[in-house]
Order: sequence, then structure tokens, then C-alpha cells
Amino acid sequence: MTRSVLVVEDDARIRRVVQLTLAGEGFEVVEAGSGEEALDALRHHQPDVVLLDLVLPGIDGFEVCRRIRRGSDVPIIMVTARADSHDVVAGLEAGADDYVSKPFVPKELSARVRAALRRANGASAPHTITVGPLEISPEDAVVLRDGTRLDLTRTEFRLLCELASSPGRVFSREELLERVWGYGYFGDNRLVDVHVHRLRGKVEDDPSRPAHIVTVRGMGYRIQP
Amino acid sequence: MTAPPGDATGSGRRHGAGRLRRWRSLRGRAALAFTALAALLTAVTSTGVWLTVSQYLLLQRERVTTAQSLANADRLQRGLRTEGLSAPQLLAQLPRETGSTSLLVDGGQWFTTSLRVGRDDLPLPLRRAALRGEASHQRIQLGGHTVLAVGVPLQGEGRAYFEVFPLDELDETYRTLGTVLLVAGAVVPVLALGLGWWLTRPALRPIDRVGAAAAAIASGQLDARIDHHGDPDLVPLATSFNRTAAALERRVRADARFASDVAHELRTPLTAMLGALSLVEQHRERLPGTGREALDLLQEEVDRFSRLVQDLLEISRSDAGSHDLVLEEVDLADFVCQALPEHAHPLVTRGPDGDGLVVRTDKRRLRQVVANLVDNADKHGGGLTRVTVARVGRNAEVLVDDAGPGVDPAERERIFERFARARGSASSSSEGAGLGLSLVERHLQLLGGSVTVVDSPEGGARFRVLLPLEVAPWRR
Repeated sequence: MTRSVLVVEDDARIRRVVQLTLAGEGFEVVEAGSGEEALDALRHHQPDVVLLDLVLPGIDGFEVCRRIRRGSDVPIIMVTARADSHDVVAGLEAGADDYVSKPFVPKELSARVRAALRRANGASAPHTITVGPLEISPEDAVVLRDGTRLDLTRTEFRLLCELASSPGRVFSREELLERVWGYGYFGDNRLVDVHVHRLRGKVEDDPSRPAHIVTVRGMGYRIQP
Repeated sequence: MTAPPGDATGSGRRHGAGRLRRWRSLRGRAALAFTALAALLTAVTSTGVWLTVSQYLLLQRERVTTAQSLANADRLQRGLRTEGLSAPQLLAQLPRETGSTSLLVDGGQWFTTSLRVGRDDLPLPLRRAALRGEASHQRIQLGGHTVLAVGVPLQGEGRAYFEVFPLDELDETYRTLGTVLLVAGAVVPVLALGLGWWLTRPALRPIDRVGAAAAAIASGQLDARIDHHGDPDLVPLATSFNRTAAALERRVRADARFASDVAHELRTPLTAMLGALSLVEQHRERLPGTGREALDLLQEEVDRFSRLVQDLLEISRSDAGSHDLVLEEVDLADFVCQALPEHAHPLVTRGPDGDGLVVRTDKRRLRQVVANLVDNADKHGGGLTRVTVARVGRNAEVLVDDAGPGVDPAERERIFERFARARGSASSSSEGAGLGLSLVERHLQLLGGSVTVVDSPEGGARFRVLLPLEVAPWRR
């Protein structure tokens, strides 16, 4: 089955190169030159991954990200100008799952796309896990809290599954980066931190005082059994 | 580094010079002027008080003693006229204050109430004046004491009355007054110095503010300004200083932004180039030999260009002051290992306490530091020979040794400048036209550390990186 990638990028040269690269890797590529086009394309196609440049004419990447998230859990990889700017955190908070920064080499890009797809396929444990009020069914990609279905993105879901696979065990950020995002030692820990933050906003009663997903200072995160 | 000769003796001199400079400062001078004024005023006041009071006391004393002498002379006159009693008896009857002595001369015969005071103790001019018929008084020394001798003429030839009054009490008063005035004269300038030093501080605080702002700008904090707090004396200085600082800041930021914009603009075509090249690379096998060679050349140059643009962006960003540090705690030895290419892992040595060293740092930047130092060792130092991670006091130390000829002492600062390449470097290629080491220095500054280059004991160059240690709260 051919996987499709929506490439949102205002620069035609980059769009073309990305299209050629991803097509060469066997992906079907849908192109969009602006935020409006992207939202429009999203209605007609069902991409498996969205590659989203944050700097766009018209509605910007952050807004596009937020609008996509209103109705979809599709993995979003943002393309940022720089790795150390606040853009990364802002983009992740707007709902992106991962990022690459310019200038990127095509290999890096396709590796990120494939990692996103792996994440979306999810399901590491076949049976339902119950942690406190949460009931996680990895196979159906469904989380219930006190019987109510929660709206998680694929990456959030994957992160929750990893943490819930051994309740009470502390997972380091590096470990989560590798297991969920497929990064090595030098992955960006902010990916984990922002996703945990987002996840808490959905599963905790009071996200500022988390009772389920807790931080272990200097070590990482764990889920309370 | 060798100390210049005479350095040890010079330090004492420098210390003294420092103290001298302190007094030559504006504040020191103001305090000293204040002191001088206070000393002068004290001296003038003290002298005035001394003169007035001593004069007054003496006059008082003279008036009292003269009155007493005149009264006694009168009484003696009457006594002598009635001729009832002898001259010594008359003298003995006269009322006298303690310690005073009465003398009478009658036709060349002298009578006295004290054996210690006789004719010869009285000064000749006094005696003559009295015998001439003039009353007078004189201060004289008698047996080590100051006394006041008063002479009063009596009726009758060769007859006069003298009385000698002790002035010891007056002397005592003079001494006390003198001591008080001298002490005041000594203490007031000292107090004035202290007071002056203390009082000039708020007065000169605006200068401190100007100094602090200038120092902040010199250290790169371009947005430092002077707040004049509505002080009318400071407003013109603050206004022109702030205007200059703002102009400087605009200029520096504009330069930095230009570099940043250039690098930024290069990124899009660079991304396109990297992408296109990688597509061509996929069809490498289908290219003829020359085509492949050209492709390799292109690949190499584009990679280098890409690194250059990224370094340039990094540097211009830190110039523009927009650096968002992402700080995390890392185990330094592990980190350095991970940052090295795999074949270099055996070269890592953990020095004293090199295990479990935790630094709070920006991983991306520190990784670049390590990578650039390794890159430098490969390109200019004949390859990496050893990487040592150790603890040195409150710092973590990373030593990167290479097999090259070392860095000439004269070049050791210059190699951290942009696009500087060590002269006499074995590599004459255009490889790595140095932004790498400059970036290393920048990053380490941002991370609170430093980098220096020294000679490695094995002969090559040794880059010494220091990073402040984080005492991890859970290990405290």
C-alpha cells in the first residue's frame, strides 16, 4: 500500500526536491504551496504524514498545525528555520510530532517520515492495559478515561503506551526518544517534554499537578501504577 | 607562561599605586578636600577660642588680683599710719587667698609673709615702678610656677606693697583647654574624612551608574542604558550616552542581522542543492567516470558549504544576542564518547573523578564543540590522539590532544578568531577555513565555560575545555 505525504512548503524548488526524494522512496506526494492549500488538500486526500514548513505566506505553519489537529491525528513533521529557537517548542505545542531544520539532507527527511509512519502504526502490546482510571487498547488505538474516549494524536498515544508498558518504571528522555521517535543519543529532549506536557493536558485532572504521568527529577518520566 | 622579571616586587608597588589611585579618584579627592576644609576650620576656630578664652581668663585674674592688692595696700597704709602694730604683724593680718604672698618695702627694709618669696624674686622694673609711684603687674616664673606679681606704691618715701599670686589654677585651665582644642583638631579631620567619603558616595552614584553602563556595553551587553532618575545634572550626560549606545547597538545588530540574513537566504538554495545532489547520487552508477569524479567533488564542496552556512548562522545568531539555550544535565564522559565518531571511542580516557561528572549544558552546542575540536584535530593536527575527561576543582575538563606540530604560542589566541587558520599549518588546502574554533569559543562562552590551547605532553596541540560543574540535586 502506497503511503502518501502532504508537503506544505512555499518554495517551489524545495517542494520539487522533496517531492523527487520522497517519490524516489516510494511515497505518494501531495504538494501544497500555502496554508490554505494545505488545509484544502487535507480535505481531499488522506495523507499518512504531513511535512509542514512553519514559514508560510498567509496563515502560518503554527495555525495550520492547530487547524489540522482539530480534526486529525495525522503525524505532522514541521520544518523549522533553526533548531534552537522557540519555534520548535511553539510548533510542538501547536500539535506537531517531530521536526527537521533547514538545511536538511533528504536522507534525514525520509528517515523522519518513516519514523512517523512506524509510530502511527503503533501497537507494541496486543492486550488492553489499565493504569489508574486509564484503559489503553493498543490494537484499536483507543484510550478511555473513566469510560470516556480521549482524543490523542498517534505520537501521544505511542508515548502513553511506552510509559504504560511498565507502570512504575522510570523512562529516561533518551529512552523515550529512541522508542517513540527513533532518535539516537542526540535527539532533542524537548520533543519528549512537550509531548508529555500535551499528554498530561488530556489525561490528568489537574495538568499542573500531575497524578498519573509524573516527572522524576534528573531521571525522566514514569506512569503511576 | 613565564613571569616577566621583577614581577614579584612589582606587585607590592602596584598595590601601593592602587591605593594611591583610589585617593586620586574623584571621590577620594572630594573627601580629601572636605577633610582639608574641616582641618582648616578647626584650626582657625581652635586658635580663636584659645586666644579669646586665655586672654579673657588672664584679664579676669589680673582684675581680681589687682583689686585684692589695691585693697590690701589700702589696709596696710591705714595700719602703718595708726602705728599700732609692726610691719610684719600688719602684713600677717592682711586677708590673702591661698598661696599668695605679701611683701612690703619700707625705706629699703623688706618684709614678707613667706620665706620662699623675697625681694630678689620680684623683677626690678616692677620694684622700681612701684617705688616710683606707679602701680603695675607682671607675670613671672617663680620656683617653676607661673605667678603674677602686683606692685602698689604706698604713701611715704621708699614704701611699696607687693603681692605675688599663684597662677597654677589658670595654667591648669590653659592646659585643659589646650588639650581639648588639640584633640578636637586631630579628631575633626579624621571624622571629616570618613564623613566626606560617606557623603560623596550618594553624590557620585551617578558616575557609578555611568561607569556600570559603559562597562556593560564594553562586555557586549549592548542594551545597557543609563537611567538618570530625573537628576538634572545627569540628564545631558545620560541622554548623549544613551544615544551613542543606541546607535552602537543598532549598528552592531544591523551587522549581525546582515550576516544572519545572508546565511538565512543561503539556506533555501542549499537545501535544494543538497536534495538535488542526493538524487543524482542515487544514479551514480549510471554516470561515466568523469561524471562520478565531478559528482564527488560537488558533494564534498556542497557539504563544506553547508557546514559553513550553518556555522555562520550559529555565529551571527549569537552576535545578534538571540541564543536560546536548551539546558539539560548530562554525564560529560558519556556525552563526549557519544559525540565522537565510533572509531575514536577507544581514545577517550577518564581522568581523576572523570566518571559521573554532570554538567548542565546545551547538548546541541556542546556536541558541536566536541565535533569541531575533533574536526580541527583531523584537519590541522594530524589526527586525534587522546580525549581526556576529568574534574578540576569546580570545573569539568575535557582535553583534546592531537598528533600535529602544536600551535605556536603567538597564534594561540588568533586561532579562535573567525576565518583564522594557524600560519605554518601543515594543511595548505582550503579545508575548514576556520569558523569551527571560533564557534567552539562562542558556544563555550555561552555555556559558562572556556577553551584554551596548550602543548600536549606528547608533542601535539592540546585544546583544554573547561565547563562549570553542576552539582546534581539528587546527588547532593
